[in-house]
Amino acid sequence: MSAHIICVTSGGGLPIFSRKRGNWENLPFSVIGSLNGVHMFGKPFGIEMINTITDDYVVAWKEFVDSVVIIGIASGCSVDILNKLLESVFSSIVLIVGTEEIKTQRNIERLKRELRICYPVVDRLLDSLDCGDSNNKYSSDLAGFVETILCPENHLIQIVLDSFTECVDSMFSCVLISGKIAAATQSWWSLHPDELKLLSLLATSGNTASSKDIPVFLPYKSPTVAFRFVACTLIPEVQLCCLCGPTPLLNDIEHSVMQCFKNSTDILNTAVLCSPKNFPSSYVIDGNVLGLLLINTAIGKYMISKSPQQNASKKSTSSSHRLDILRTFFYRAVLNYLIPLVPCKYTSHPNLTEQNFPKDKLASNDLNIGTETYWCSEYHKCHATKVNENVLCVLYSSSVPTHFMRHITEKTLKQLISDKQVYW
Amino acid sequence: MESQRLLNPKAPSNNEAESRSSEEEDWSDGSSYSSCYSDSDSTIPDWEPYVDDFSGELLYIECHPFVTQNNKESKLKKHVEPFSKTQMRRSTRGKFLRLIRRRESKRKSKKGQKHVDVESNTSKVKFQDFQEGEEKEVMLDIDVENRHNLSSDKSLAESLLGLVVSTLSDGNRVMIAGFSYDSKAKNERNIKIGDWLKSINNIEVNVQNLDDILQKFINRNDVLLKLQRVAGIEVTKDPPINELNNESNFVKEMLNFKSDDEQVLLQTLCKHPVGIVYIDLEKLDENNQEYEDVIYGFPRPLKKNILCVSRGMYITLNHLLDDVTKTKPITTTVKCKERLAHIVYTQFEKNLLLFMLPDNRASVQETISVNKELIRLLQFSYESVHNSFVNEQYFAQVDHFFSRFFARTLSSGLWATAQQFVELENLSTKSLETSPCQFEDNFPVAPTLTLPDEAQMQIDDALAELEASDYREWNEEPLDCQRLFTMLGSALYHSGYLLATHFIHEDLMDVHCFCKQHGLFHLSRTEPVKCLVLWKEVFPHSCRTQHSKVKVPEGRRYLLVVGSAKDLLAVIMEAGGCTEPPEDNMGPDAFYVEEAQATLAHIQELGLSELADRFLSMNPGPQITVPFPHGSKKHGDFISLNFSKKSRCWEGNIKRPLNRNVSEVTSILKRRSSDQNFVMQYNSMNSLQDDSYDGQSEESGSQGGYSERSEVSDDSRRNFRRGARYDSNDEESEADEYGEGSQMSVSSFDVSEIRQNLLCDTEDCRPVQLTAGGDNVLYHFVQLDMTEGILLCPPESKMQTQTYELILENFRKCCQQIHTLFQNTLRFKNMPAQDMAKSVMNKSLVAIKEHGIVFECPYVDDKENKKYKISYWVVGRLFYVPHPREMYVCYQDSIPQNLIEIAFKMNMATMD
Repeated sequence: MSAHIICVTSGGGLPIFSRKRGNWENLPFSVIGSLNGVHMFGKPFGIEMINTITDDYVVAWKEFVDSVVIIGIASGCSVDILNKLLESVFSSIVLIVGTEEIKTQRNIERLKRELRICYPVVDRLLDSLDCGDSNNKYSSDLAGFVETILCPENHLIQIVLDSFTECVDSMFSCVLISGKIAAATQSWWSLHPDELKLLSLLATSGNTASSKDIPVFLPYKSPTVAFRFVACTLIPEVQLCCLCGPTPLLNDIEHSVMQCFKNSTDILNTAVLCSPKNFPSSYVIDGNVLGLLLINTAIGKYMISKSPQQNASKKSTSSSHRLDILRTFFYRAVLNYLIPLVPCKYTSHPNLTEQNFPKDKLASNDLNIGTETYWCSEYHKCHATKVNENVLCVLYSSSVPTHFMRHITEKTLKQLISDKQVYW
Repeated sequence: MESQRLLNPKAPSNNEAESRSSEEEDWSDGSSYSSCYSDSDSTIPDWEPYVDDFSGELLYIECHPFVTQNNKESKLKKHVEPFSKTQMRRSTRGKFLRLIRRRESKRKSKKGQKHVDVESNTSKVKFQDFQEGEEKEVMLDIDVENRHNLSSDKSLAESLLGLVVSTLSDGNRVMIAGFSYDSKAKNERNIKIGDWLKSINNIEVNVQNLDDILQKFINRNDVLLKLQRVAGIEVTKDPPINELNNESNFVKEMLNFKSDDEQVLLQTLCKHPVGIVYIDLEKLDENNQEYEDVIYGFPRPLKKNILCVSRGMYITLNHLLDDVTKTKPITTTVKCKERLAHIVYTQFEKNLLLFMLPDNRASVQETISVNKELIRLLQFSYESVHNSFVNEQYFAQVDHFFSRFFARTLSSGLWATAQQFVELENLSTKSLETSPCQFEDNFPVAPTLTLPDEAQMQIDDALAELEASDYREWNEEPLDCQRLFTMLGSALYHSGYLLATHFIHEDLMDVHCFCKQHGLFHLSRTEPVKCLVLWKEVFPHSCRTQHSKVKVPEGRRYLLVVGSAKDLLAVIMEAGGCTEPPEDNMGPDAFYVEEAQATLAHIQELGLSELADRFLSMNPGPQITVPFPHGSKKHGDFISLNFSKKSRCWEGNIKRPLNRNVSEVTSILKRRSSDQNFVMQYNSMNSLQDDSYDGQSEESGSQGGYSERSEVSDDSRRNFRRGARYDSNDEESEADEYGEGSQMSVSSFDVSEIRQNLLCDTEDCRPVQLTAGGDNVLYHFVQLDMTEGILLCPPESKMQTQTYELILENFRKCCQQIHTLFQNTLRFKNMPAQDMAKSVMNKSLVAIKEHGIVFECPYVDDKENKKYKISYWVVGRLFYVPHPREMYVCYQDSIPQNLIEIAFKMNMATMD
């Protein structure tokens, strides 16, 4: 129900920032000092502290680029997810200040000040921990994956977006609906999932009424050279984001946006209606299905839906718990067996290669490949199946026969990925 | 002979006994066979000299000679001094003297028998068997001293001639298997191990008549033996120094405490991230000396022990996390010299136990389980973890244990079947390899082999008899002495599989862990054990814990393990309470040891270990099948494949010499019908399915064929038993004979009949196919019952294929993870209601009861078939009622399976 992230310098143990979620007291300085001390103590013996597990909590330590140590404490989640979170937190630091400044650490106070902008992003990252806490507003966040929305209008938005990129001369742009990617350029999709996720979070953080123009480093693609990240709000809940160089100016970009999107307001307005459901309401989904999670493992994107039925208005109360279940199922079962490795095209990052968490004995081998998994609880059942790079996780009511889930999942998956209009 | 020499110093102290013994001799002389038995108090058991003078502990292992290993070293039992007995033990024996003698008269008939029995059953020396070979004639003196003082556990041949005999491969001809300790025969150049003993004084001998013939010559001074060389095997070339009691390295290691290798081993261990440290948290003070807080650490020296030098980290975390999260740390993972390692925390009030293993040898879950097991073991052996580390007298023992334990863990594959003896050279290379995942062997559960009802009943009967220790029947006059021990329970193992237990569950787990960690199971599985006796004071769980309702009587408990061949009988005995008060450092009492040995012998005599062997050797076992590169079948070839697979299975079965004892006319009918019963069972299950009728009719036809073949049987074995079994006890009433299976000599005829029935019954009780559908698609199953300490799984398969290994390895890995997942459910179920709301557990995980994964893997055995993929399920299921039970199955992905159904069938199959 609670989570803490502490970032300290690895040399002197000076705290850089600490963020928390849930109803926890702030950690006293002595505790932070001890946690860091434990990590430091082992170094002369050649021992690196990796993690510690208690009955309910997990603590993980990770040192990045020999300069900062990020420590995470969380309840209810698994070590793997906490590790993933620590990497994402570091990525978000790089996003704002770049790796050079972290390594040199000339002025800690300035670093602290600069990093304030990423606090909301780190807070949102904390939301992706599956603490089994149903009060969480953002139960739909998945660590390491970026959320998308499958509006029936996606193909129309894509056309407009493509024309916009020609106007502003930027290869990297996307349209977000409620913070979820509806349409994006090819180049945008070529970014690392972590970068996609961080940029989406950055666009929606803070005040969205006015346009944002923030210098960002891309943690994987360009950790030392900054880009400009521009986010403009088209209509409420809909944003356009793009990455560009020193030119064009923000005003020029806003002008181009007006030009390109002024005729598409209706389309966007109907597209926004798709939001809580996240996929077209025309799809016929089996009555036993309570929730859907569709993942593309190659790109690192997902779509999650808690109300797949057409007349889904009545059962909205328990529905955020549904997302929690789906997410936990994904973390504990699917990620372990069906998506064993991060797609290798991303592992070539200079700063992160050596930092990959050491694979332990239980890391899956290459010969046995999981294709399908399920679990049955007293109250619900979950089933996931993998077809090529697509994985569909489905939450069922507990009344559905176990062997029947396979059939429904396959049918649903086919329906979701075959529609060309939504640009999955 | 040994016993002979020991007789004299003892005799004066027991005058009364002496006089009685002569009475008894007179009495039993009348009987045909057992006339010549030794008085028990003159018989010092072989193990007696090896009892530790200070603690009274004993570990005695005697193995049959085996030829495969060219081991010329002599008996290695360094730490013991023969013939040094403490006063205490003599007094113990005195108390029970009369009992022993009385009993002896009735037991005697079995004694000689038992010996041959064991030998013929198990690891006899095997020689190639050529009929032609040089014939030799040897004149051998009969041991005059032993003529009328036959040792209780020596055969007639051994006592009279100094020859240990066994049978040749046909089970009928007598083979020289060895020489007794001080035999004259061993100096006779013409008698060699492996020779066929053809005749004595020109009377042809075989196993059945050997004893009878010897009986005839018992009063001669010498006999003429005619021997024939059967094979020229290396051992026979050796000059007859007769180092027969060859011990494998493993046995040596078990017996031998201070080997020179130990120091080298310690240094090697220090280089690895392994260790165990026990810390006094109150002595943590800056001013204290460097290692003052360390109560115990292994490996030593402490400053080279990586766990010990870094203990500050874990001590800090231990109290820090407690402060911050209100929960205690369970494990810490660190990277140490580029290797991952896991450290487990266990806190005992003011002391902290840390235990570390490298990740490539044990995953987090495995490390936690091992830690639990070690703690259980220490508590069982030394009352508490604290005691085991604080008491200096245990140091050597505990060190020895840990050095063996760590060396084994660093170098072995699957722990259950691991080679227990570790070559130092292997350690460095193997310790860097990734070990296979452990699963079922990693929990405090005993792999259980369920025998048919009748067999189970016989075992229970024998064990109950032993536990009751009701010896009134043997005494003409009432006993006036109190018992020395109460039996708290007993368990019988065969090859490491539990056959029966009368322990409280927790105690069973204690005993099981003890035997497992001390390599006793490994011993009984791999070594040709002739005799094993272990005696040790223990602290079983039921007596360790303070119950509010049950008052544990004051007293001491002792674990007695006796073994022979593949069988192991463990008994916990209590001194104190209602029995004689315990003495300090009490050693094993000869009477009780013999009692246990007799029970074991009786069970073997009933053919139960043979039966167990049969069950274990069904390969791959009728319940499971091995993966085959035909993933999904079309309906057309479904039938044919079904048949072919089935017949493969059957071939496996008939290769075993199933039917030795068919002599009744009815048995043919019985057998056939029983086979068909199985088919019927099978049919009825299939009929639910649909259409494999053709396949089955063919099948039953082929089984008819088998049953005809089964009539061809040799009943020599049975004859042998029968011939040797007419003894002095026919006067006992039949009811008695039945009721007193274990101790009294059951009339021989009955024993052999029971034996025959038991062995015949094997065919009746084939387990049914567990999976639904016409074809057996089950690759593996595991059922864990932690409450009862019972593990059900198919016996270790010898039909290992690469693909199968690959699948099983993955199966175990998944099971570990599924098991961990289920722990959430169990934890939540056991949580008090008021804590549930406060708990920070992930609520999505609190009610999961089934988890399954489909895997695909290539068929790797056959290069051409590599493109075939095998698609299989790994499914785990948690049952709550009546108590938590976990079941894991691995099966081919074809027809959907219902886990509840499989569990039902599995338990039906094992209950009957």
